[in-house]
Order: sequence, then structure tokens, then C-alpha cells
Amino acid sequence: MENISRRFGSIVAVEDVTLAIYAGEVTALLGDNGAGKSTLIKILTGVYPPTTGRIYFKGKPVQITSPRMARDLGIETVYQDLALVPLMSVARNFFLGREPVKSIGPFRFLDLKTMQERTAAALRDIGIEKFSGGRSVNEPVGKLSGGERQSVAIGRAVHFGASVLILDEPTSALSVAETEKVLHYTRQAKERGLAVIFISHNMSHVMRVADRYIVMRHGRQVADYRKGELTEQDLADLVTGERER
Amino acid sequence: MALGSRFDRLREVFLRSPIAGPLVTLVVVFILLSFVPNFLTLRSLSGIINAATLTGFIAVGVTLLMIAGEFDLSVGSIMAMGGYVFGFHVVAGGSPWVGLLLALLVAGVMGLINGLILVRTGIPSFIITLGTQFMYTGVLWFYSRAQMLQITEDLPEFAILNGRIEWLSSWLPGANVRTAFIWLVLLVIVFQLVLVRTRFGNHVFAAGGNKAAAAAQGVLVNRVKLACFVISGMCAGLAGVMLFAQFKTVRIATGAGQELQAIAAAVVGGTLLSGGSGSIVGALIGVLLISMLRTGVVLTNIISADNFPAVVGVTIVGAAILNDFIRQRR
Repeated sequence: MENISRRFGSIVAVEDVTLAIYAGEVTALLGDNGAGKSTLIKILTGVYPPTTGRIYFKGKPVQITSPRMARDLGIETVYQDLALVPLMSVARNFFLGREPVKSIGPFRFLDLKTMQERTAAALRDIGIEKFSGGRSVNEPVGKLSGGERQSVAIGRAVHFGASVLILDEPTSALSVAETEKVLHYTRQAKERGLAVIFISHNMSHVMRVADRYIVMRHGRQVADYRKGELTEQDLADLVTGERER
Repeated sequence: MALGSRFDRLREVFLRSPIAGPLVTLVVVFILLSFVPNFLTLRSLSGIINAATLTGFIAVGVTLLMIAGEFDLSVGSIMAMGGYVFGFHVVAGGSPWVGLLLALLVAGVMGLINGLILVRTGIPSFIITLGTQFMYTGVLWFYSRAQMLQITEDLPEFAILNGRIEWLSSWLPGANVRTAFIWLVLLVIVFQLVLVRTRFGNHVFAAGGNKAAAAAQGVLVNRVKLACFVISGMCAGLAGVMLFAQFKTVRIATGAGQELQAIAAAVVGGTLLSGGSGSIVGALIGVLLISMLRTGVVLTNIISADNFPAVVGVTIVGAAILNDFIRQRR
């Protein structure tokens, strides 16, 4: 992303941000509430167009005009609490928006069997054993714990060949054990060669999973450090503005 | 053992289905009412079915829309409009089939207007359709010239749309089932299939269950909702046509109160008021259950038949509690 700015009326939400996200890395995006993280992500995922600036994807300039287009490019976002539909089954959620169909005469019906089998296989593949029985994929997502939901959403993004995975506050409101799982799947996604953007308020989670730290303050990018260059305290100071850059 | 696990599986599928509660309620109410004299007669039973049919058409569309997370309170006025469009066309000597298509077209446009206001403004559909309900009735005053429309002629097409099934009546004396009920059952089967076995249906559940998550997965939420509003309007228009084919009359007040009856049927049938879950078959069970209770009230004469809405009220609250209880235990 090059020289990205976004204004809402007279308010500058993001100002002149240039950053690169690399495959096989977890890039943490940090900043206090209102620092511009969400706006920046929404620009990358086609929710808002940037006021100025350009986005390059795999070296080519792109104009991302809708969430659907972002997804077609392979940019998947896992929003906190908003990733899945609680009342729908795991399998139906997994394939939401790209349901496999089979034709019967002129009509196209959902291929429920394929949906169930592929969901179970994909979740087993990334190590979510709970679904290996092939039964639980029919359970409503609402019955899963917060960590399981995040895991399913991450598994979905990985399965459908995302190249950029954006995790928005994936560990907030999770128990310690649940957080461990989500951090584990985040690393796994990275090892599969995805570029992961990890947005969080939790410095210790960030320290444990990220390879790179980008800090935003008042719409500007104020820091870009690699793992090992900062302590947890340095990071917190950068977020609050205690330390300038 | 194999039999046991198959039974467990069946039980599980049944319990997870949104119609588990409604079906149990229907059977229990049926068994209780069967002790009432004259209830278990072909005459009473076909009366129950006939009284449920027109609301049933409306409930199909309203339920689909509710699963998508929206309401349509204007269906009563759309039903009347459907009846008038069909009636005027037939009175003018036109083909009833063309009249049917015209009525569906006009009703679909009325649904589309509701939907367009929703996606353009984001105002809750409950408010929008509360308004359009009166607006549509206003248009109807001009269109109908404030006149009730009535004809005496019997057309063969009326018998196909909503006539007595004569062979059934002669085979089972007292049975008086109308063809419209067959069309309703077919419509219910089609939309139930659409809901649970198609992409569109999956997107309807998603749009009502979590709009943001659906949109993030590339579901065109607004388009799904628009389609549901059009379907809801067309179902109401179809109810108006069926009404005219049966009674050969329509007036401005036709359809008044149908919107709440349809919502009641949907809720009794296991559909969530908050969207994201429900069943078209459940809605059919809902209208039949409410109609059955009405007949029960009339036959037992414990309370005045005019006080029937009180029974519907108890049913709605009771069914909502029962459905919620089953949902929790799944």
C-alpha cells in the first residue's frame, strides 16, 4: 500500500501510509482505538476506496472496489464476532458465498454431502480435531466456543486459498486455552505461506505470534520494526505515544 | 444396535429441525381437540384447511422474508390489490391466466418498492411496510374507485385456481377441500426446497442470521433481501387471486389483519422474529394450528368465537416459549 490516505469530510482517518505485507510473515498492526487501523484494513478489503494512494497486489496495481473483489484476489478477513453466522451449521458457514451445487435438470441444488465432507476434511487438515467425526459440521456455529469459531474462520480462509489473511482482534474475549489455539492456527497459516495481518490490542499475544510490528497513531504509521528489535514495553509505549517512533 | 443408532440419528435430525416444536404442538392440539364432539369429522377438518389456505399463501412469503431478517406488514393491502387487478381483468373479459400474471406482476412491484426503500434508506422494514401498508390502501381507493368488486359469473379457470375438489367430495361425503390447498402445498414444498437446498436459500439464512458476516463472504445481502420482498409481495398477490377465484368478490378491507396472522403462523411454525432461522413447512403447520384452534373454540363454545384472537395470543406466546425451549436443548 503506497501513500494511502482516507478522509471522512474534514476528518483524516488515515494519512499517507505506505506499507508492505509479505507472504510467510505475520505482520502485527497495532494502535489505540481511533488510530486508523480499521480504516486502513477497510481500504485494503474494498469497504472504502482510499481518498488518495495506490494498492499493489503481487506487484501489480489494483483497485479494490468491493469486499467481494478483495476476496476474489485472495484477501480474506476474519472479523471479530462477525466472521460466522451463529444459527447456521459449520458446513454451511464454511461454504457461504461459494456453495458447491449439482444440477438436477434445469435446477441447481446445494451439494450438501460435498459441503459436509470437504468441511470436515479441511478442518481436520488444519488440525481442528473436533470435526473429524464428520458429524459436528452440521452443528450450528452458535454451539462452538469463541476460539473454535475463530479457528473455523481461519480454516476457511486457508482452505479457499487466501494469500492475505487479516485477523481483526482474533484473541479478544477468548480464554487462555482458546487464545493458544488461535495463535497456533495463525502460525500455521503463516507456515503455509500466507501473509497474515494480525490486529490486536494485546501486546503479549502480538509479541508471541508476530514477525513484524507496525504501529499507527492518529492516522499515521509511526513505527515498523522486526521481531527482536522491541520489547513488549517498547511496543506499548509506541502505541500510547510515550515513545515517538 | 444399527437400528438404535439410526434411530438416534433420526431423533437428532428431528430435534435440530426448526419444525420439531411446531409439529409436536400440532399433534398434541389435534389429539386434545379430537375429544371435542364433531371435531373429527371430514366437514370440520376440511373447514380447518380451507380457513387456513389464503393466510397460508401470505405466510409462505412473510416467513421467507422473516428468515432474511425483514418484515412485511403491507401484505394485506397487496393481497387486496392482487384481488382487484385479477378481478378487474376478468370483469373486462380478459383471460384469467393473464389476470393472474398481471396480479403477480403488480404485487411483485409493490414488494419491490418495499425492498428498495429498505436498501436505499436502511430504515427498519417494520416501519417502512407499516407506512406502505396505508399508502397501498390509499392507491387502492383510487384504483377501485372505492367500490367493492363482485361478479356472479363462474369461470372454469376459477375451479382450477380455487374450486371444490368434486371427486374428493363424492368419494368422501362431507370433505370439502379446495384446489388452492393443493397449490399451497406445492408452493410450500418448492420454497422449502429453495430455502434449504439452494444457494439463494443459504444466503437468505445468512442475510437474516448475520448480515455483516454474509456480506464479508461475498453474499449480496441487499439483492437477497430485495428478492425476498418481491416473493413476499407475489405470495400476497397470489392470495388475493385465490380469494377472488373462491368468493368472486374483493373489497378494500380485504386482507386487513392478514400480516399479523402470517407473522403469527411463522412464529408458531418455528421461525425466529429476529431472523436467521425458520421453516416454510413450519409456517404451513402454523396456519393449520391456528385454524384448528379456531374451529376448536367454535365447537367447544367455552369462550365466544368472537373472542378467538385471545386463543391465538396464547398460542403465539406458548409456541414461542416451546420453540425456544427446544432450541436451547439442541
